[in-house]
Amino acid sequence: MYFFLQIALSGIATGAIYGLIAVGYSLTFMTTKALNFALGMWVMLGGMLTYSLNVQYGIHPLIVLPVVMVALFALGLVAERFSVYPFLRAGSDVWVMSTLAVGFLMIDLAEIIWGRNPTPVPPFFGKDPVYLGQVSILPQQLLIIAAACVTFVGLDFFYRRTLPGKAFRAVSHSGDVSSLMGINTRRIEALSYAVAAALAGIAGFLVVPLTLAEPQMGTVLGLKAFAIAIIAGLAAPRGILICGLLYGAFEGLVSGYLYTGIRDIVGFTIMIVALYARPEGIFGRRQEERA
Amino acid sequence: MSYWIRITRLAAGVTVASLAAIGSGIAQDVKLGFAGALSGPASFVGTEIKRGAEIAIDEINAKGGVKGRKLVLISRDDEHNPVKTVAQYRELVERENVVGIIGASNSASMLAVAPIVNDTLKVPVICPATDATEITENEAQKQGRDNYLFRVGMYGTGQGNFMVDTMVKKFGHKKVGLLTWTGGWGVTGRGELQRRLKENGLSPVADETFDNNDTDMTAQIIKLKNAGAESILNYALVRENTFVVKTKEKLSNNTPYVSAWGIAGPAFWKAAGDSAEGVLTSTTVTIDGPQSPERKAFIDAYSKRYNETMSAAVFAVGAYDAVYLFKAAMEKNGFTPAQIRAGLEDIPQFKGLIKNFTRPVFTKDRHNAVTEEDMIMARWTNGKLLEVKFDSKGPYVELDENTKKYIDKSTMKLL
Amino acid sequence: MRDTRALILLIVTALAAIPIITGGTYYAFLGIIVFIYSIVAIGLNILSGYAGQFSLGHAAFMAMGAYTTALLTKALATISFFAQTGLHILLGVICGTIVAALSGIILAVPALRVRGPYLAMVTIAFGWVVWKILQEWVSVTGGDLGISSIPKPQIGVLRLETRSFYYVVLALFLAALALQVRLVRSQFGTRLRAVKYSEIAVASVGIDVYRLKVIVFVISAAFAGFGGTLFAHQQNYISPDNFQFFSSVFFLLAVLFGGAGTILGPVIGAGVLMLLPEMLHDFDKYRLIVYACLILLTLYFLPNGVMGLVTRRAKAQGATDTQASGDDQTAVVLPAVSGAELQIENVSRAFGGLIALSDVSVRVAAGSIHALIGPNGAGKTTLINIVSGTYRADSGRINVDGADAKITSMHMAARQGIVRTFQTLKLFGNMTVIEHVVVGKARHSRVGLWDALVNSRRGKEEDRRQLCEAKALLRLLGISHLERTPATALAYGHRRLVEIARALAVEPRILLLDEPAAGLVAEEIRALAVVIRKLKSMGMTILLVEHHMDLVLAVSDRITVLDHGAVIAEGEPADIRRNERVIAAYLGPSHAAA
Repeated sequence: MYFFLQIALSGIATGAIYGLIAVGYSLTFMTTKALNFALGMWVMLGGMLTYSLNVQYGIHPLIVLPVVMVALFALGLVAERFSVYPFLRAGSDVWVMSTLAVGFLMIDLAEIIWGRNPTPVPPFFGKDPVYLGQVSILPQQLLIIAAACVTFVGLDFFYRRTLPGKAFRAVSHSGDVSSLMGINTRRIEALSYAVAAALAGIAGFLVVPLTLAEPQMGTVLGLKAFAIAIIAGLAAPRGILICGLLYGAFEGLVSGYLYTGIRDIVGFTIMIVALYARPEGIFGRRQEERA
Repeated sequence: MSYWIRITRLAAGVTVASLAAIGSGIAQDVKLGFAGALSGPASFVGTEIKRGAEIAIDEINAKGGVKGRKLVLISRDDEHNPVKTVAQYRELVERENVVGIIGASNSASMLAVAPIVNDTLKVPVICPATDATEITENEAQKQGRDNYLFRVGMYGTGQGNFMVDTMVKKFGHKKVGLLTWTGGWGVTGRGELQRRLKENGLSPVADETFDNNDTDMTAQIIKLKNAGAESILNYALVRENTFVVKTKEKLSNNTPYVSAWGIAGPAFWKAAGDSAEGVLTSTTVTIDGPQSPERKAFIDAYSKRYNETMSAAVFAVGAYDAVYLFKAAMEKNGFTPAQIRAGLEDIPQFKGLIKNFTRPVFTKDRHNAVTEEDMIMARWTNGKLLEVKFDSKGPYVELDENTKKYIDKSTMKLL
Repeated sequence: MRDTRALILLIVTALAAIPIITGGTYYAFLGIIVFIYSIVAIGLNILSGYAGQFSLGHAAFMAMGAYTTALLTKALATISFFAQTGLHILLGVICGTIVAALSGIILAVPALRVRGPYLAMVTIAFGWVVWKILQEWVSVTGGDLGISSIPKPQIGVLRLETRSFYYVVLALFLAALALQVRLVRSQFGTRLRAVKYSEIAVASVGIDVYRLKVIVFVISAAFAGFGGTLFAHQQNYISPDNFQFFSSVFFLLAVLFGGAGTILGPVIGAGVLMLLPEMLHDFDKYRLIVYACLILLTLYFLPNGVMGLVTRRAKAQGATDTQASGDDQTAVVLPAVSGAELQIENVSRAFGGLIALSDVSVRVAAGSIHALIGPNGAGKTTLINIVSGTYRADSGRINVDGADAKITSMHMAARQGIVRTFQTLKLFGNMTVIEHVVVGKARHSRVGLWDALVNSRRGKEEDRRQLCEAKALLRLLGISHLERTPATALAYGHRRLVEIARALAVEPRILLLDEPAAGLVAEEIRALAVVIRKLKSMGMTILLVEHHMDLVLAVSDRITVLDHGAVIAEGEPADIRRNERVIAAYLGPSHAAA
């Protein structure tokens, strides 16, 4: 029982990161039907910035967090303007390549600025694990799970209760009609990217003390988060968070009870089957093609 | 009209002059080649090799070169991709006319190029970094043909033997667990460890693996502990090992942890910090603790030139020695690739940074310079990698020339 | 034409001369790698460039081919028969290609159900799973360290070294290129391109889109697998490193950069992307930046890739010429059509809580024009969708000539002779008008892919015949002069006519017109009425959904009126005009009395 709880708990913490990143995909897809395919690299940027500010300049994490958010928000606006907006009209999936290109750029720039060696960032609440009975978990992991919960509640509030949230939902149904209704669709589109970037930055900020800060850290994270967003349904952000947690736990359990190597094979195969069974995602709603 | 004639004449003149300059350069210089990972996650290995070679080459050239001819290093970034390595080796030999090559950073790359080197390119290669056994124990060697691959680094079979023998015989651990990386040389490493355990009449109490993307080894560590492992043997690089020791700390796990030479450099301590305390690693070289004057000189030259400390000394040192071995072979036998190859097999003694060889460095049957007898076990102690020595009282490390600290055999803690 | 042939000959000779001129093995080696990557890129181009199915997992197919041949040839090489004849290499290549093609089916099944980023995810996941299996299944694949000592290519007793193998690979590369040309220029290729623009429209003319996509996946995978087998024998060593996610990205980038949906695009893309890093030794550190800038520059300035730029110029010159030709006045021989009787019996359909149709019955006499009218939201389009197979009814039957048609999908309906046009036009991008109509002829095609590939006489004859019939249809609708105009350049009224022409090409027995007059001006509506009457005179049964009362009253034999999903009136036009319930439904109860 201890074994099960221990690895499930570790897995959930990882899953929370997947979920946070995956929400970013959903945000942008809902408003533009395109997304930042290289969101993982943005997570890396958040992590590297955290490293720089916290370790190299000794700034306290509480101050680092808003700085990272603002920086990535701004960069997200810029990136959207140049690598997404020009290609939204095309109707094809060209934005896949353009956002990927920005991601590649970021990896190389990160290697040049920060070097290639993985470097550590001290956990914000110390190294000593917290004990829940026999099961130990790092304070950083608890922080991550807490952040995911806050995001979950926050998203619900945002979409249902706030005006900008409703504007988001309007634009996701129809950009043209929304602009006719006086909503600045363009601004909402750009905003969605900026917010997704900021969320990615937060994810990077949270995860980097658990792993190591290095330019390649984001690629696989981004890919798995993308898979989770797809499986849950790109238009269901809260479902995405739940799927993220579940998938993280699943990964941990497969690694624990079988062996690590098979984890991705099983995971991705299940994803393929899930998409086959429900192409719109588990929490998604089937779009009848109106002829 | 005259304008064009003038331009043409100018262009012709410049072309001729530069060709002459290049030509005159080529006639004298001796080119050594290198293709390894200079970008991407494994780039620290490739960079260290290149730097070690550069320091050696500059030293040699400063003293007049080899028989009056200067050495030149032509290097390429193979991006850790065997296809590129193969292409670049062909290019280095056929277009750049290198007469010797310093080995790549990736075992897969070396396995890919080995047959081509022996069958087509026929240029000697000395590997400082890759430890897959088949690189030097290749088809040509088995068939008795000229083998152009040499190695000054750790080699798989020997390292496996050394790691197991040390823990089983010198530390007295009969219950040994394995935790290896599924990538690249982790696969061969695992095979070597299993083989040697079997030869010692044992089998691993647990055989866990992890892959590149694992950042949390909780499941593996718990399983190893439940199996009662007295020590854990590992084959992985800095990054993965950092995650392992961090996980161990999270689980408050104290099982002794022994790694192959992937973490034999300051990069590991930088990444893992205190969590790395007490980790053992097998290697040939450590630059901490008391050093020979030649080593000290090399360490100084490195930090002066590159403004940082070495992240993986063993590779830089290996490359340095490789260049000097080429020099010795050239001086003895000549400058063509075939002559250099033969010369390498004929170096009876060699004062290298790795060690002082009082026996032939290479022989026709043994293309590995370093054998089990030359390997050492080292312990990460307070940020330094100190050699573990043995006397009648047991294993110990020397914190400095005067201080000796013994090690507890079951926890690796300092007594 | 002669110029093109001379140019091709020149290029081929130049390529053949490269190893001789340059000496050594380096350039021959580079050449082989470029040719192999081009073959894989060509396969991806057919799938992603022409059919628009973006795959980010193609390296997996290459891996399938490579590993299959590696394992097979290594095992067979020990048998002296094979060692003597070199046949194990041939066997390995064939088996590798087949294995890759079969795995194309495995990917096609889930991939066919999704689109856009969902499709991207499925292909990435597939590529990832294959790569992981290669890494983990150490006993078979050698794990991360791969398989070495793969037998060299061999013909008879002759072992092919790099320079000789170069010529073999060059020949195979040219063959692959020729195959692509054949494929793309065939009917199959036209249908593929149509699928990229509108799958629904393609299904509506009777083409089994599902089957088409599976075939294209298989072909694409076969190309990639074939390239993989050559790769294995050239390198003599393969490892999972060669078949990662980034490799798949590389191939897609090559296709996009070179020009997706062009013949030479994948070759140029593969060539440039492979050779660029070799030339730029000093830019090692900036490799990813260079790639990134290349992608962005391509997308900004060359959205159709390098070849797209070239062909666009060529097409622009071609387009202006054809507009000069006038309307062909030769008499049109109208084929006789045996219109079928359509009986809709008690059809109901609900969407969640909304009841769209409740117990609707309509009888359309054979050879008559029957109109379906009603206020917005009455359920007209839903009914059309059900009859044409776009939706399924919850209950009720559709009878054609008295027999239950059992319509389960659009292309099944089309095969029964029921064809429709769409309220919101679904044309095929910038494909030409004549190409649209030819796609419609797919249902009556008697030749298959094989005939297209070998350019058989049967295939050529059918192509000629279908082209003739298509031209006749254009004459019938008075738009012959627009034959070679891209659909995007047409006026709105003409676009409607193209859609009708495409539907007619299927030789329907029941034609469903869904608001054909929408967006037309009065003059165009009059022309449309003429066309509809012409069709009736040919014997066709027409079910017409319309809002334009003048058109409805002018052409219809009978009218059925729907309101809130139920039939509220049925009869001849004159009666319907005066029907109180109908007036109330449209204008409100207060107007009924007037």
